[in-house]
Amino acid sequence: MNTSSPSCSDDNLRLLLDGDEDDQRYRHAASHVETCSACQQRLTELSADADFWHDQQVMLRPIEGDLPETGTLVRHRSLESWTWHAHPIEESAIKEMLSPPSHPEMLGRLGRYEIERIIGTGGMGIVLKGFDSELNRPVAIKLLAPHLARVGAARQRFAREARAAAAVAHENVVPIHNVESDHAQPFLVMQFITGQSLQARVDREGPLSVREILRIGLQAASGLAAAHAQGLVHRDVKPANILLEDGVERVYLTDFGLARTTDDASLTYTGTVAGTPHYMSPEQADGRPLDHRSDLFSLGSVLYFMATGHPPFRADRPMGVLKRTCHDPHRPVWEHNAEIPDALSAIIDRLLEKDPSRRFTSAAQVQTAMEAVLAQIQQGRLLQRRRRSTRWPKLRWTTLTLTAGLAAILLVAALLVAVFMTESPFRSPSSSTTGKLPPSAPQLAPEASADTPSTLLAQLRSLDPSPPDQSQAELTRLEESLDRLESTPFLETLLPAEGE
Amino acid sequence: MTQSPETRETLIRRLPNAADAEAWDVFVEIYEPLLFRLGRGKGLQQADAEDFVQEVLTAVLRNIDHWVADQQRGPFRAWLFRIAQNLAVNFLTRPRHQRLGSGDSQVARMLHALPTRANENESSELFLREYRRELFRWAADHVRGQVSERQWRVFWLTSVDQRPIAEVAREHDMSAGSVYIARSRITKRIREMIRRHEEHTQ
Repeated sequence: MNTSSPSCSDDNLRLLLDGDEDDQRYRHAASHVETCSACQQRLTELSADADFWHDQQVMLRPIEGDLPETGTLVRHRSLESWTWHAHPIEESAIKEMLSPPSHPEMLGRLGRYEIERIIGTGGMGIVLKGFDSELNRPVAIKLLAPHLARVGAARQRFAREARAAAAVAHENVVPIHNVESDHAQPFLVMQFITGQSLQARVDREGPLSVREILRIGLQAASGLAAAHAQGLVHRDVKPANILLEDGVERVYLTDFGLARTTDDASLTYTGTVAGTPHYMSPEQADGRPLDHRSDLFSLGSVLYFMATGHPPFRADRPMGVLKRTCHDPHRPVWEHNAEIPDALSAIIDRLLEKDPSRRFTSAAQVQTAMEAVLAQIQQGRLLQRRRRSTRWPKLRWTTLTLTAGLAAILLVAALLVAVFMTESPFRSPSSSTTGKLPPSAPQLAPEASADTPSTLLAQLRSLDPSPPDQSQAELTRLEESLDRLESTPFLETLLPAEGE
Repeated sequence: MTQSPETRETLIRRLPNAADAEAWDVFVEIYEPLLFRLGRGKGLQQADAEDFVQEVLTAVLRNIDHWVADQQRGPFRAWLFRIAQNLAVNFLTRPRHQRLGSGDSQVARMLHALPTRANENESSELFLREYRRELFRWAADHVRGQVSERQWRVFWLTSVDQRPIAEVAREHDMSAGSVYIARSRITKRIREMIRRHEEHTQ
């Protein structure tokens, strides 16, 4: 023992507990601990007292379900928490789920299916490209994610998904060949579609032509109508779930991943986001009960995506997307893409109504509306491109909000000017009467109409720092209403440069 | 279960601030495995234990509005852990096959019920022991994600399995000093994580 060594100090040991391993002093202290048993002991004491070390040893002792050989604690999490934290699935984990392949160039085998490669992975499952050795045809196999295959609720949901999807036979819905729910790794077997997803196509090519939007939209609506007729709500309509077959102009709706019959008891309590935030309906984002009209909103978002290259509501975080979906109006499609005819723009607007009762009543109705637009284009009767100014007179909600917003600014400006005039220290004292607003105040509004909320606010704040009491209250009130005005969504789009 | 589905988002929108949402996440992280284990310990099958977890969490959720509305409310985290403890202990105290009801009044009654049963103390003790175990497991799970696999293994082998340090060092091709450092660093992190959590829930 060399307790007297100058290297023995608690400070050095604390550095070992909390410090940076690349630090010069850390390395120095570490080499000292190699040989000094007193410091080894002291280091242990400094990290925690003997009682804690003992408790830790008792409390972390493996219990049923743990994997003691690797020091792994298996802590139960619900299906919802798992999907929320959507763990990425590694290829090695997928291989472990398969039996050895019959051919060396294959990944593995699953029942009678030879697995060729992984097509994609998601929160709930893995999609594999396989080959049916009995029927001699390529197939797509959807496998429940390994961490979920152990959870009873997930297996049930998966089996339900498979049954629900298999019940829909329609040319625009990917056919389900087979469901294996008793297998250790439940999976479903679908027709393999050679092609790409709508997401991939728009990512590569950007916004699509009006004809393409209508063609794809029509077929997607048709597939949805078939699912809705079976009492199914897809719940996850998004570009990645719309497949475009190569060569033929055929569109398939796939992945009724979270579809469930409407009257099915919910598995959800919390932590679940059943669907992709960008294409979710407001009722879905808000956790309210939903029906087939939720899919219509998502379809509207998909049409919007095809027309503009991006979803209608964007934000930095999923939470922001949900909030905007629930509260903000979308920017009209034509503001991004002048090619979009009013008739199509109007269909999208109606699908994106926040209130389900204001949307189309059925997917079939959407189909009819789009067919009418397509027919008009084919007959050359539809003016595709219009000057932006011709769109203004139309009473859209944007125009209405804009008008209402301007009116609100004018009103506040008028009140402001009125207060300014009655209480301003720059005015002669004789003209200052009460803190109340003169009835003629609104007439002054046009003078202030060029002002924006921020410049008004600046003016307001530059007023006499010690005004009489009653006007102080009025000023505070005005300032508050200006703040409110500034935070309303329409101003974000109206005055994007005004933010501070 | 017939309660309306609730997403994490709608819950969060009901909470006054972002720190509360974080508290909820921590709460779920600790309580899901804890309740599941308690349920299994009471003889529930896997699926029933999962239901039990959901029932307790749903009952807590239904009461969040009371907390939000309470003018004198304390910190969310402390409230969450207190109310969930009451619910869980109550469950453990009841006869095996009596399930948690989903009616609001029943839950409210349960929350405010005074301990009457003789085995109340026993259930409380069981709960507190298992809760403490879960805290350790929760903290260890987190710390494991912050250190290398090798550091974790030498910590585990020398502190949980209590094998001699020199032997473990040799097996892992490490010096004894670095094994001392690794196990102490990890232990300190686990201790601090638990301490911070306990401060927040007091």
